[in-house]
Amino acid sequence: MTTDTSHIRNFCIVAHIDHGKSTLADRLLEVTHTVADRDMRAQYLDKMDLERERGITIKAQSVRLAHEGYELNLIDTPGHVDFTYEVSRSLEACEGAVLLVDAAQGLEAQTLANYHLARDAGLVIVPAINKIDLPAAEPEQRTKELANLLDCDPTDILHISAKSGEGVDELLAAVIDRVPPPVGDPTKPLQALIFDSMFDPYRGVITYVRVQQGVLASRARIRMFATRVESEAEETGVNAPEPTPVPELGPGEVGYLVTGLKDVHHAKVGDTITLAGKHGATEPLPGYREPKPMVWSGLFPADGSDYADMRDALDKLKLSDAALHFEPETSRALGFGFRCGFLGLLHMDIVKERLEREFDLELIATAPNVEFHVFRGGEMTTVHNPADMPPGGDYDKAEEPVVFATIITPSDYLGAVLGLCQERRGELVDMSYLTPERVEVHYVLPMAEIVFDFFDQLKSGTRGYASLDYEPWGYQEANLVRVDVLLHGEPVDAFSTIVHRDKSYTYGKQMVERLKELIPRQLFDVAVQAAIGSKVIARETVKAKRKDVLAKCYGGDITRKRKLLETQKKGKERMRRVGRVDVPQEAFIKALRVDDGSSAKGKK
Amino acid sequence: MTAGVYVHVPFCLTRCGYCDFNAYAGLDELKPQYLRALLGEIALSAPAWSDVEVGSVFLGGGTPTTMTPGDLGSLLAELRRAFDIATDAEITTEANPDTVDEASLSGLLAAGYTRLSMGAQSFDPAVLRALERVHSPDSVRQAFEAARSARYANVNLDLIYGADGETLESWERSLAETLALAPEHVSAYALTIEPATALGRAVARGDVRAPDPDVQADMFQLACSMLGDGGYGHYEISNWAKPGYECRHNLGYWRRQPYLGLGAGAHSYRDDRRWWNVRPPEEYLATVERCELPIGGSETLDAADAYLEEIFLRLRILEGVPSSWIDDERAEPYLESGLLTEDDGSLVPTERGMLLLNELVLGLTARE
Repeated sequence: MTTDTSHIRNFCIVAHIDHGKSTLADRLLEVTHTVADRDMRAQYLDKMDLERERGITIKAQSVRLAHEGYELNLIDTPGHVDFTYEVSRSLEACEGAVLLVDAAQGLEAQTLANYHLARDAGLVIVPAINKIDLPAAEPEQRTKELANLLDCDPTDILHISAKSGEGVDELLAAVIDRVPPPVGDPTKPLQALIFDSMFDPYRGVITYVRVQQGVLASRARIRMFATRVESEAEETGVNAPEPTPVPELGPGEVGYLVTGLKDVHHAKVGDTITLAGKHGATEPLPGYREPKPMVWSGLFPADGSDYADMRDALDKLKLSDAALHFEPETSRALGFGFRCGFLGLLHMDIVKERLEREFDLELIATAPNVEFHVFRGGEMTTVHNPADMPPGGDYDKAEEPVVFATIITPSDYLGAVLGLCQERRGELVDMSYLTPERVEVHYVLPMAEIVFDFFDQLKSGTRGYASLDYEPWGYQEANLVRVDVLLHGEPVDAFSTIVHRDKSYTYGKQMVERLKELIPRQLFDVAVQAAIGSKVIARETVKAKRKDVLAKCYGGDITRKRKLLETQKKGKERMRRVGRVDVPQEAFIKALRVDDGSSAKGKK
Repeated sequence: MTAGVYVHVPFCLTRCGYCDFNAYAGLDELKPQYLRALLGEIALSAPAWSDVEVGSVFLGGGTPTTMTPGDLGSLLAELRRAFDIATDAEITTEANPDTVDEASLSGLLAAGYTRLSMGAQSFDPAVLRALERVHSPDSVRQAFEAARSARYANVNLDLIYGADGETLESWERSLAETLALAPEHVSAYALTIEPATALGRAVARGDVRAPDPDVQADMFQLACSMLGDGGYGHYEISNWAKPGYECRHNLGYWRRQPYLGLGAGAHSYRDDRRWWNVRPPEEYLATVERCELPIGGSETLDAADAYLEEIFLRLRILEGVPSSWIDDERAEPYLESGLLTEDDGSLVPTERGMLLLNELVLGLTARE
């Protein structure tokens, strides 16, 4: 039996990462007695260990709350700019959004961006100021700011403390009162939106769906629009919050579907599920997009013999991560590995960490880069591997991806923000004052400048007050060059990267300086050079080693010294050979480590 | 077959910051018991070595001379009773300058300890302080003179170079002072920072600078040239001697001859088996008192272990490795770069090669 749609409310919470979204979700589970007190734990909906550790939601979740005769579906959305598309699909599953703003911190760029997404998706906004019990809270100021933004009556803005529970009942009442019930005709052909999909080793692909019209029943023969794959719906159910089977999901309902599929790529986020055969819908729901990698990096097993295991691990991860791309890559320095495409640096970190943790692999990642367009003789090549970039700028034209960035900063730090954006080759679009103290700035910035350490720099330049969101904004022409790094005259492909010519010297200098410290002294002087084509732009020398001998070796020392030599021998065998130079794994890992800001974007 | 006997005396006046030997300050009250235990261990182990002639005895520590010449005399007498010690055997004891005078040294010589190895370490007071040595340069000179007055004709001085603050000039002065005393034998060691020592911890904290390997390389080369000019033959990485005064006991270790170690933590080696006594003196005492051999562990060398030891020890003593043992293409780069020379069918490290001995060993024994 499906619920009468007038008693259904589908909503999500739009909030900046540490404004209390997970705490509010926890409180809602408690207040509605969805989770028994004894089973309650913090950040209940963040199921992956990684999610709890990093304090961010990676996978969307939905949970059904029963409250005063209503079925409330809370749809949790991923909390990171890497996952904007997933957020937009989650929003499509809702009719309303709670816009949650920290009473001390005020609006942040990400909240604003997601608010715009929610408004564009036609959602009713229920604004709420959270953490009103904080000493630094300025609820009046925030109310004014929010009322201004939403163009609403300040009295419509709720004041709550998700931590203490104050105002949470009122918030639930407002959701029921203000968010419209879903509409949808159960007799029409089935259209169900996939807003998340995951892989369960026992049950195969499980999708989270929102039924727009028609009925999705277990045992129904179903078809995916984008991938044209058919299967039998093995089970429909809802999370309350543990998975609970229901015979069917009707219009407006949100729940899970065990698809009977074995590969997550057959059930993609944003795709539409309908019935197979003549009862199926003829049109999918709008807005589906293929997940497109933004950042590429070569991943290589530190131990070459792990290559086959790594391929299996990537295959398995791909079952649950539709956004992950990979293709085999061979590096002279690092051997066999994979060039992998990610949604962003956070996604890359997560994939790498999962490979290392869940599959016990030790990996070396090359410097991440974005995807460039290179024109030569009238032909365009897409380049996501520095190896494919013509050396020495031998091309007609090159383009790099840019983003449209929204930055919100206290006006005191406006100068610092503008300075940083200029330095990162940004083009100012416009700026406006939200209040006299807070400015919203829009920039078009090269993606390559923003995905790595931009966020860190922004935070440190504004004492942590500025916030950032961005979306892809196409391509624009750029003077791009490939910087190679040579050891003793031998190029090390793993260290090559594509950068704007203006940044080539900085990159080259930084790499040779780092490598000078990381490459152990050899029996001869080792030149460490950075070069564009045949032109050397930076150079350091690792001086030849002069002493490596054990001073004392008497009767009681021999065993220990032999073992020491054996250890040294094993260490040497694990080194990578570049020409005549022995390079330890550590040097690759450390030289290529990205000091990115993605982890800092998670909550503490 | 000739073997060496090593006796370990774990007592010291103070513990030096750089030392990671099995040595203890403040355990003096155990000395009588320890001497009894050594005599007990001699009795327990001698039967297995009855077929062997002992060519050398070496008392090391710790500081053997913290025990009285009388006690050390009884010890040697017991060794002579229990083992077949050659009449011309080399009998050495280590000595700390602060624990000896002419009378005690005469006593030691009379007891049969004909070779003296003295821990001078440096003639620079600042370096001695950095090493936490309690003696002064003067006490080294006095102790050395006392040894000569006591008619010691075979004396070694131990030196350590590369401590924090030591310059090439200061090392040159220490070497000159050493040459002025004209000992028969000189051991000069590059200071090595062992993590589990006071100095190791100070370096880890950043309170003390770790030795600069390039400076130590310069110091090594200075030692090679000054001692060479002074008539000392360089016969092991860290050892120089007037002709005929090479330490036979130590050469036994490097030539992989058998040795028996007595006392807490001492190592023994025979027929590709190496074993070692328990380290803590109390445990050593208790085990021997139960009339059990105080063995704490052992290993049997397989062919690969034995080969690796053979190579690195042969390279240490500059006797070199027979060229026929090593594939030509392995040795070639080192011959070319001047780390090895070929001498009468043997590959021998050059001065630069000695400094890079670990590299040589790894390169010559690398697996395919």
